[in-house]
Parts: sequence; structure tokens; C-alpha cells
Amino acid sequence: MEYVSPEGLRLDGRRPMEMRQLRAEIGTVAKADGSAVFEMGNTKVIAAVYGPREVQNRSQQISDQALVRCEYSMANFSTGDRLRKPKGDRRSTEISLVIRQTMEACILTHLMPRSQIDIFVQVLQADGGTRSACINAATLALADAGIPMRDIVTSCSAGYLNSAPLLDLNYIEDSAGGPDVTVAILPKLDKVTLLQMDAKLPVDIFENVMGLAIEGCKAVSNYIKEVLLGNTKQLEYRRGL
Amino acid sequence: MVGLSVGEKHFIQGGIAQDLRSDGRKRLTYRPIYVETGVIPQAHGSARVRLGATDVIASVKAELGKPSALQSDKGKIAIYVDCSPTAAPVFEGRGGEELSTELSIALQRCLLGGKSGAGAGIDPSSLVVVEGKVCWDLYIDGLVISSDGNLLDALAAAIKAALSNTGIPKVDLAAETTGDEQPEVNISDEEFLQFDTSGIPVIVTLTRVGRHYIVDATSEEESQMSSAVSISVNRKGHICGLTKRGGAGLDPSIILDMISVAKHVSEQLTIKLDSEIAAAEASEEES
Repeated sequence: MEYVSPEGLRLDGRRPMEMRQLRAEIGTVAKADGSAVFEMGNTKVIAAVYGPREVQNRSQQISDQALVRCEYSMANFSTGDRLRKPKGDRRSTEISLVIRQTMEACILTHLMPRSQIDIFVQVLQADGGTRSACINAATLALADAGIPMRDIVTSCSAGYLNSAPLLDLNYIEDSAGGPDVTVAILPKLDKVTLLQMDAKLPVDIFENVMGLAIEGCKAVSNYIKEVLLGNTKQLEYRRGL
Repeated sequence: MVGLSVGEKHFIQGGIAQDLRSDGRKRLTYRPIYVETGVIPQAHGSARVRLGATDVIASVKAELGKPSALQSDKGKIAIYVDCSPTAAPVFEGRGGEELSTELSIALQRCLLGGKSGAGAGIDPSSLVVVEGKVCWDLYIDGLVISSDGNLLDALAAAIKAALSNTGIPKVDLAAETTGDEQPEVNISDEEFLQFDTSGIPVIVTLTRVGRHYIVDATSEEESQMSSAVSISVNRKGHICGLTKRGGAGLDPSIILDMISVAKHVSEQLTIKLDSEIAAAEASEEES
């Protein structure tokens, strides 16, 4: 199957180096301490953060840093065919773990000893790149909750199909069987915190694809900063400052 | 679930006794209701309903299936509710399962009528394509995103809105088949059939706190309830289903009184919901 046409257009009409449209909204879950919706094209996720608060399970308490927990869940209606058993399968356990580790790397956990931070991400629509969208949503929700962080984490994926590196794969491109490189970076510190790839790829091409994904992360980080700034300005205005 | 001090409890109970609740409402006033349709483009129909800080999404997906042997002239409809952990940390893992099941069963009872499908909000025989062979299976999924009490009423409203947003693809038979063969069908991707949603009831939950009862309780008020009765009423004012929750007993005469109050409240709610759904659909078409 042809994923990039001779004119250099992808199935959904994007250029190989083009991202899907991003949209973010802060404060969508009224009861949570911090929350955000993040959309990358048709992929849509909600993240909610509760905490820092008292540790619910005493045996998990850490005396010199905060406990970070994460749960990833997919809505029954999030995929093309209806999901039957959405809770607690291996894929969601793995993604929960990945998100937890990525977010833990940027939260200043030593400032909040003996406390717990819960991150819940809920996928409303899955169209490829849920992992990245979840990390971006979680970053926004953590920022909304006012949790101290080293830097914001942003994530983006890239792949390689029809001998062309492609940025931000959608579901059809993702299931084509080619490699899928997911990267998360701390843009200010210029560090990679998450790197995952499936399928095989020559080293020189991998370098290209990873470079492309990192560029994608930087673009996401610019957008996230814009959203956060807009949100802060609005809060400032509401307070009458 | 909700940690309240003695003073706060007194304040809530006292407010309800004086017909002035903590958020300034009267006992029988709903919070403002906001409806948004078409939020899940992948589904056949979807809607998001917000009732104060309560926020739910309902989606409708239709799949072609085979009708059951006992009821060959009827399609199948199922309602599932899921409580997302984003709504409250207690729903983490399997924590939300009990509440999810309770809500699913209550909604099924209130909206789908009896086992035979009699008295259902949607006519199951309208889902049949070929009698005994092909029918549409309708899966209605509710998702609780944020919870601030009165989930049942919000979910019922969301399902009503999602169903009026639903378009089922028109199905043509490809060729005449005989005997036991499964007929081949063509699913049209241009023509869609709409449901008649005027018969779908609304659910009004009356929560009893102290000696009075209130509608649309917040989670703080729900924590003070002794019992609650959910009554589903359709446009004609007929009662389609009834569920009582909570331990404390109710005097039968009070239940009858509650039903007549629910009937009265449901009239206003139906009108309000209809206008909100119409407005949501109009704004969806514009964009």
C-alpha cells in the first residue's frame, strides 16, 4: 500500500514532516486539582491530576519524596470497533508505567515527601499516538495543578514508511507495520526522557527519524507553552491584576 | 467519600429545610444543563452533558448482528456505563465497577423497558433489517468524566441527546437469499436513518435529606441522603421505570407524593433538554 503519494502527500493530506492539528484546553474536570484535554488530530485524551495529598496506602509511602501514580484507561467507544474489555490489560498497564516514569522524571518529587500525586488519563478517541497525547495532556494537567516541575515534558512520534520519515503517525500509518519511534523530551534542558521503537531500522535512518520526532516534540512544547501562557493571562485577568 | 464537618452537615440540612440550598437553588430546581452533540466523530452518535460540575459523555455505536432466536423481530440494545478515574480517585482500577454496574442496570430498567422490549424508549423492532437474520445491535456507552452528584439524570439526558444525534446507515439487501443462508447486505455511507427520540424518557432523581426531598443533588448533598428514588417519565407524563436506592425506608404515601412531584419536574426538564439538544445540533451543523 502507498502511504506517501508521488506528490509527497500522506493519506490524510499531510506532508511527511507535518503534524496533525493540536488543540488543548485546561481545567475541564471541575473536581480535579488539575486537568486538561489534549487533541492531536482525531486522537483525544483527558488527563486529571489529584494531589499532592496524603498517601492512601501507608505501605507505599516514601519518606523523602512524593509517590507518583498513573492510570491509563480507554473508553469503550474510543476505537473504531467497540472495545469489550477495556480495563487492566497488558497494553494499558505498560502505558501507565511509561507515563508514570516519564512524569516522575520531571516532577520535583523531593519537595513533597510523604505525599501522593495521582495522574489519570482517559482516552476518548484513539487515532494513533495515544502515548504521546497522554504525556502531553498529563504535562498540562500537572501544570494546572501547580505541581513543581523541572521543565514541561512533551512527546511526539515519528515513523518510516515508503522510504520517507513521517512525523506524528495516525492509526492507519501506525498499523502499517513500519517502525514507530515515540520520543519525549524536556525541551529546556534538551534531554530525552522517553524513547521507544518497534520494528527494525538502519542506524543512520533511525537518527533521522528520531531527529524528526524531537523536532515534533519542540513544536508541541511551543504550543503547550502558548496554551499555558494564555491560561495564566486569563487567570490574571479574572483576579483583576 | 465526601469529608464534611459537623457544621457543614448542619448547614446543608438546614438549607434544605428552609428551601435555600448551599448553591442558592430551591429544592426543586436543577442546575444549568449544557449539551454538546457530535463530540465523538467515530461513533454513530454522541453527546456530552454537563450539569454543574457533573460531566458525562454518551456514545452510540451500531453493529450488524443476528437477532436472538426468541425475538426474531427485534434488534438488541445494551447500555454500559463506565466511571473514569478522572472523576474521582476511588474509581481507580476496579473501584468504579460497582457504581458502573448500578448505573448501567438502573438506566437499562428506566430506558429500555421490560425483557420483551415493551415500553422501551426506542422501538427495538425498528432495528431489524431482515427478520430473524440481520438486525442492528445498538451499543450505548456512557462515560463519567467528572462527578458531582446526580449521575443518573445526567447520563439519561446524555443518552437521549446522543440518540437524537444518531444516524444509522441505510442497509440494502444485495441479493435474494433462500433458506438458512445469511443474506448479504450493502451498507450505505451516504444515507442515514434517524431515530424517533420523542418517546425516550427523562430521569428525575429525588433525594431525601432530613424530612424533605430535593432534585439534582450535588455530591455533598448526596452524602447526607437517607434514600433516593429515581423516576423516569416520558413526554406524555407516563412513568417508565423506577428505582429506589439507599437504606432508609419510605412511607408508601410519600413515594406517591414523590412521583407526582417528579412528573411535574420532568415536564420542565424535558422542555429544557429538548431546546438544549436542538441548540447543540444547530451549532454542530454550523461548524
